[in-house]
Amino acid sequence: MSELVLGQFRKKSRLTRELNAIITIMARDITLFFKSPGTIIMSLAMPVVMMGMLGGSLAQNMAGGLGFNFGQFMLVGMIVNMLFMTTTMGVTSLVEDRTTDFTQEMMISPISRYSIVIGKIFGSSFGAIVGMAGTLVVGLFMGYTLSAGQLLALLALSPLMCLSAGALAMIVIGLIKSNRMANLAVMLITMPQMFLSGAIIPINNSSGILFVISRILPMTYCLDLARAVVYAGTPEYDSVVLFNPAITLTVIAAITVVCLVTGTFFFARSEKNR
Amino acid sequence: MESIISVNKLIKQYEKARTPAVKGVSFDVNEGDFFAFLGPNGAGKTTTISILTTTLSKTSGQVSIAGFDVEKEAKHVRENVGIIFQQPSLDPQLSAEENIRFHACLYGMFSYRPSFRMMPAAYRSRVMELAEIVGIQDALFKPIKKLSGGMQRKLEIIRSLIHTPKILFLDEPTQGLDAISRRSLWDYINNIRKQNGTTVFLTTHYIDEAEHVDKVCIINHGQIAISGSPEEMKQSLLKQELILDAPDRGRLIRELSGMGLFHRIDGHIIVPYQGMTAQNIIACLQTQLTVLKIQEPSLEDAYVEYLLRTGGDAA
Repeated sequence: MSELVLGQFRKKSRLTRELNAIITIMARDITLFFKSPGTIIMSLAMPVVMMGMLGGSLAQNMAGGLGFNFGQFMLVGMIVNMLFMTTTMGVTSLVEDRTTDFTQEMMISPISRYSIVIGKIFGSSFGAIVGMAGTLVVGLFMGYTLSAGQLLALLALSPLMCLSAGALAMIVIGLIKSNRMANLAVMLITMPQMFLSGAIIPINNSSGILFVISRILPMTYCLDLARAVVYAGTPEYDSVVLFNPAITLTVIAAITVVCLVTGTFFFARSEKNR
Repeated sequence: MESIISVNKLIKQYEKARTPAVKGVSFDVNEGDFFAFLGPNGAGKTTTISILTTTLSKTSGQVSIAGFDVEKEAKHVRENVGIIFQQPSLDPQLSAEENIRFHACLYGMFSYRPSFRMMPAAYRSRVMELAEIVGIQDALFKPIKKLSGGMQRKLEIIRSLIHTPKILFLDEPTQGLDAISRRSLWDYINNIRKQNGTTVFLTTHYIDEAEHVDKVCIINHGQIAISGSPEEMKQSLLKQELILDAPDRGRLIRELSGMGLFHRIDGHIIVPYQGMTAQNIIACLQTQLTVLKIQEPSLEDAYVEYLLRTGGDAA
């Protein structure tokens, strides 16, 4: 085949090239997900542990006197937590790509570094959506459900939440060079968010340093937006939702952009200076 | 001819390193040339190639590839180059074809489709054509981890050429390959050069692979030590040798001494010469010869001679 004929297939517009690159990087992660039985099992087991065991135990023993249904509160918290946790774990696989030198293949391609990072985040979010579906199934067995409208609204918000989670993880990934450190980093990123952002424990009465931390974690705002959608028009809305959804959305967008720019800078710098 | 690679006073100082890995290197490569960048381990070859391919940032100096600055116009540089890294950079969990598809789509050659069958016919025929040329058509759909080192190297070559780059960077491309794989690989690369006029930038420890290049540059301790065509390099570094013998050795030796030529005996009479041709020497000899051979030094001889003279570590 002549090079001239092949050249006709090359994407002309910069935007379509970048979009195609994001889809390609995302598709690679989805392909790897299906090729890794361990990852599939983990994605399905995590909801059982997080929602079934941790959530179930909290609901049975510590949910009294809250003024709202803790099970429903926790279901939304676990869904968002699952999106954050799985996306973060997926993004940290960039460290593994670096150790196998596969990141070089991406770094030498004529695409924006942002496309690499966004593609990786969206690719990782596929496993997060599987985890989200698993959480819903476990919640169903526990008697906690969402309406079709609530579910669709959460699904519509999930790309933004995954992008926010992945962008935060990228800042740490850019500073890490080994797989062992990456595993520790996942814990460092996900655990404070799970306990301090209101995923399973309401944070209406947080104060001091815990209050400050809760207000700088992106998951706090993602959770609040998710609950604003799920609890819209219900009597529990004021007890459960902390902020105005428009402000929440603005804060999420701002934090995501800042984290994405900083994380991409760190990642590109660590690749070029290694 | 126009320079397609231009390097001017390039310096690279790694973080925490006491001295720069590359110390003010300058050279040019003409479009369509086959250029060899040689040097012992740790001389600065891979550092230089990494800067030229935008995967490593420089400390100072100017580098332009295909007319584009490597720092300011990195994206344009990447569009014009194909690279085979010293360390394989394939995804071991994907199949051979999936690795190629990933690359072709990243370079905007085709829209991504989730399977080989769904990709455009042009992609499928190009992949099959390249796979047949390098002989990996039977392994195309196998996972990378099941392919031999040689097959993985060939796959990397297919991948690096699928977007038809103007310049192909080969960083020790035949490392770990058997003789047959090496030969088929070079046949293929030479064909590509002839067909497309691709500029090839090679680093290798197999000096015989650089024997027929257009220009050689030897880097040592981060600095360009010597450059030129292989012939120029051989002439400047080594004397050619005549191997002679005769029934009357004494007369032959007297004749050679009379012409101001030194000799040594190593089985036959070995006569190093420089600045004159073998024809001149033989024409002056009256002694009847029984052995007459012209010993042409190889590029490897010149390279080793240079390293021994300068105290560099042999590769």
